[in-house]
Amino acid sequence: MRTETAPRPFGPLARRIALYAALIVLAAPFVIPTLWMVASSFKPLSEIFASPPSFFTDSPTAAAYGEAFAFQPFARQYFNSVYIALVVTLIVLLVSGLAGYAFARIRFPGRNLLFVVVLIGLLVPSEVTIVPLFQMFKQAGMVNTHWPLILVTAFAAPCVLATFIMRQFFIALPVELEEAARLDGLGRFGIWRRICLPLARPALSAVAILTFLSSWNLYLEPTVYLTSPELFTLPQALTRFTDPYGGEMWNTQLAAATMTVVPVLVVFLIAQRQFVESLAHSGLKG
Amino acid sequence: MPTTAKKLVSALALGTFATTAACGGTDAATEDIELRMSVWTSNEDQLALFDSIADAYIADHPEITSITFESLPFEEYNTTLTTQIAGGNAPDLAWMGDLSADLIDSGALVPLTDALEGTEGWDYGDLLPSVTGEFSRDGELYAYPFSNSPFALYVNTDLLAEAGQTFDPAGLTWDKVSEIGAAVHDATGKGGFVVNDFNYSSWNTLATIWTGFGATAWDTDGTECGFTSPEMTEAFTFLHKAIYTDESMPGPGTTADFFAGDAAFAVAQVSRAGNLDGSFAYDIAPLPAGPAGDYSVIGQAGMGVLASSPNAEAATGFLAYLTNPENAAQLAQYFPPPRQSLLTGEALAANNEKFTAEQLQTVVVDQIADAVTLPNHTNPAEIAQKAKTELDAMWAPDADIPGVLASVCSAVDPLLVAK
Amino acid sequence: MGRADAATGYLFIAPQLVGVLVFVIVPVGLAIWYSLNDWNIFTGQLTYVGGGNYQAALDDPALPSVLGATAVFSGGVVALNIVLGLALAVMLNRRFKGAVLFRTLFFSPVVVSVVAWTLVWGFLLQDNGGVNGVLALVGVDGPNWLQNGPTAMVAVTFTQVVRSVGINMVLFLAALQGVPGELYEAARLDGADPRRIFFRITLPLISPTLLLTAIITIVGALQSFAQIAVLTEGGPGLSTTVLVYYVFQQAFSFNDIGYGSTLALMLLTFVMVLTVIQWQLRRKWVFYED
Repeated sequence: MRTETAPRPFGPLARRIALYAALIVLAAPFVIPTLWMVASSFKPLSEIFASPPSFFTDSPTAAAYGEAFAFQPFARQYFNSVYIALVVTLIVLLVSGLAGYAFARIRFPGRNLLFVVVLIGLLVPSEVTIVPLFQMFKQAGMVNTHWPLILVTAFAAPCVLATFIMRQFFIALPVELEEAARLDGLGRFGIWRRICLPLARPALSAVAILTFLSSWNLYLEPTVYLTSPELFTLPQALTRFTDPYGGEMWNTQLAAATMTVVPVLVVFLIAQRQFVESLAHSGLKG
Repeated sequence: MPTTAKKLVSALALGTFATTAACGGTDAATEDIELRMSVWTSNEDQLALFDSIADAYIADHPEITSITFESLPFEEYNTTLTTQIAGGNAPDLAWMGDLSADLIDSGALVPLTDALEGTEGWDYGDLLPSVTGEFSRDGELYAYPFSNSPFALYVNTDLLAEAGQTFDPAGLTWDKVSEIGAAVHDATGKGGFVVNDFNYSSWNTLATIWTGFGATAWDTDGTECGFTSPEMTEAFTFLHKAIYTDESMPGPGTTADFFAGDAAFAVAQVSRAGNLDGSFAYDIAPLPAGPAGDYSVIGQAGMGVLASSPNAEAATGFLAYLTNPENAAQLAQYFPPPRQSLLTGEALAANNEKFTAEQLQTVVVDQIADAVTLPNHTNPAEIAQKAKTELDAMWAPDADIPGVLASVCSAVDPLLVAK
Repeated sequence: MGRADAATGYLFIAPQLVGVLVFVIVPVGLAIWYSLNDWNIFTGQLTYVGGGNYQAALDDPALPSVLGATAVFSGGVVALNIVLGLALAVMLNRRFKGAVLFRTLFFSPVVVSVVAWTLVWGFLLQDNGGVNGVLALVGVDGPNWLQNGPTAMVAVTFTQVVRSVGINMVLFLAALQGVPGELYEAARLDGADPRRIFFRITLPLISPTLLLTAIITIVGALQSFAQIAVLTEGGPGLSTTVLVYYVFQQAFSFNDIGYGSTLALMLLTFVMVLTVIQWQLRRKWVFYED
């Protein structure tokens, strides 16, 4: 069907209104759960599951926010999540920066085979490895420490994805820059450190964001490895707000969830242009 | 990092075929003993009580340097505990619910009878026979049933009044509850009666109803499925009619939380009273009578000593102290106790703001001696899951009730026999 | 400098390679070993059973249904995720007031804890919940979403897509911004209509990103556990019991680690096969490939 003969149904203003209307309708399922979560964190427990559901309450209370801190070492858990995600991100930047560069630029025997071996790390579901890994970390005396969360994220799937992204970026980087540097007497490490890494900033920030999020959202692993509340990470802590009989303290959970989501959203709102642009220049582009 | 890295490397060298190599009970350590007990409460008052009892014990036992109570979340309790056991990282002591049968059968628990009977002043005969059965095998007790919480009928008297209904606990039957529930639903649009925590998934909570019809999930040996019995068929016919004909029980996918004021009646444990926030007037009564007459059902929790603990003996010693008459009396503030001597309405009312001593006398004390427990079996998760998958077909208006119950039995039979 | 350079190459990839060996390959080897054993989790005893667990998988009456549900769920998630992600990216790849805000809104579920996200949806999808409340406003009598097979599958697929499509949208946005504007100009001057431009120019140019997102999305879909666990527990019946949930049940709820490992390895095989197929096909449709 050719559309070029069909008259334009509406003018620019109408088009614009239609676009906004479409976006708002589409956005509803993305936004409403989060808004409901925030709104419900200010409700008394008995109103959260009132039916029909409502957004607002007549008796708003911020008590749940205080409870979140009183009930668990929530500030500590917040710190745990932040520091683990930062450490993981730093390791991944270094490891994937090196590996991605080598896979893209250095010729060595077995390069393609080794790249495929590394890529397997992206494909193995955590369900396959979680029991054996638990055994290994147990033998190493690292159960109920943060090591498993740091090491597995920093070297397995999220890091492999990062290596893949970095390789794609370095493949697209003009080789002339390096040749000039080599003439100036720089070795491989020097070239990588002085020339390529600074140029790779967009790809590195994309990797940083994706890695930070995967560490930040990790759920299965902390649940398996950590048992002391002061070591918990946030996603795990969120499910631990229960009363003595196992009943969920919904409003406290929702308040805690709100506190974990809002800062990240604010950061994304501020940084999203850069985020998209980093990705655009990261070699993932068309 | 260096030491940890070294550990990792050596672990990889050693542990390539890392089977658990579970350190069997070598009682090597006789000093600097650190005990760890897994619990599912995270209530600060309860933990403080446990800590204070532990501190008192440590003061008299210099070989024990610390006793920690590790709170695991209730929902993932069994999974976390078994993962720890599988990983050779088991606690020395643990609370347990429906995991007990598996633990006892696999020899993972230390027998307690001799140790408790041999502890001076412990008074083993004080334990009620009705509460020890679930945690015993061949007359040997493997876990102390510290919490025995009866199921009761909670009533939202405000909702009943709104629908012009009255509630009389004397001679109450399930048919009457359903009738009032239907009237409340008609008048207010709220739910009639709900079984707390059932959510069309945890079918074992329905034992609080089918026991009144004389039905059981399986026979006492746990080898023969009871879902095809005429009594069970009658019980599920009652439930199905309540849901789809009388509309006295909210159907699947409908949220009706009694504690939020959305239902007239709820079957729930007495220990859930903390969820009553005073936003409506309530009453509590023993479970209504079914066609088979009066009955009581309790949910239990026990605490036991893991055989894999290198300090099993010290752990058993502490358990005997934690559950001796004086400390049991303290625990009874929060958990209905297994000891005859502690079961009085006044004792239970001491720390209960929701109910009077008389109410507690009728819904707790008078119930425990003759109570049955919720269905319990080895491999509880798999049985629960298999039966749930089949029972899902029950929750449709045109369900073939005997057909669904027959399919439940064919699904769980292999697991029952496997026992 | 060849040999020295090659040595540098090995040195550069060493941390990543060793990491993958230690934290992925060795555990997979262990999982294979577990799958050949029955493991009594309470006593710690391993009993070698050879192919017993594999035979059990062949005899498992639930497995065909589980594999079917896995195919429907993953297929649905991948298709919707890519189409919707691309559509959103195209819509938001223009300059207009609020574009930044809308990008953030569509991305926001990605940063919400999956547990919190699914709990809220579980509540909204109740028979008397918010979704049906909204449908009632427009005169539609909504189904009891989570209580019958087909709608439950729709519900878990939808919530998974809404939660994760933000990543794909951003990846596509990045790709679209990399398409040179001159190409569009030239096409427009040649009189191509927007649809033609999209299918003949845009799509081929962003095909490497399509490949990447397809891989990430398939792997993610095959591993989405929390949605199923919280929303439907695999029900009603077995209708939403996907393989990863089944694996988790066997290994962690029923404590049958041997059988769970067997099924997990089966899941791994699927992921591998799908990826290899995509990788082989990439030369056919990925515009830039070497």
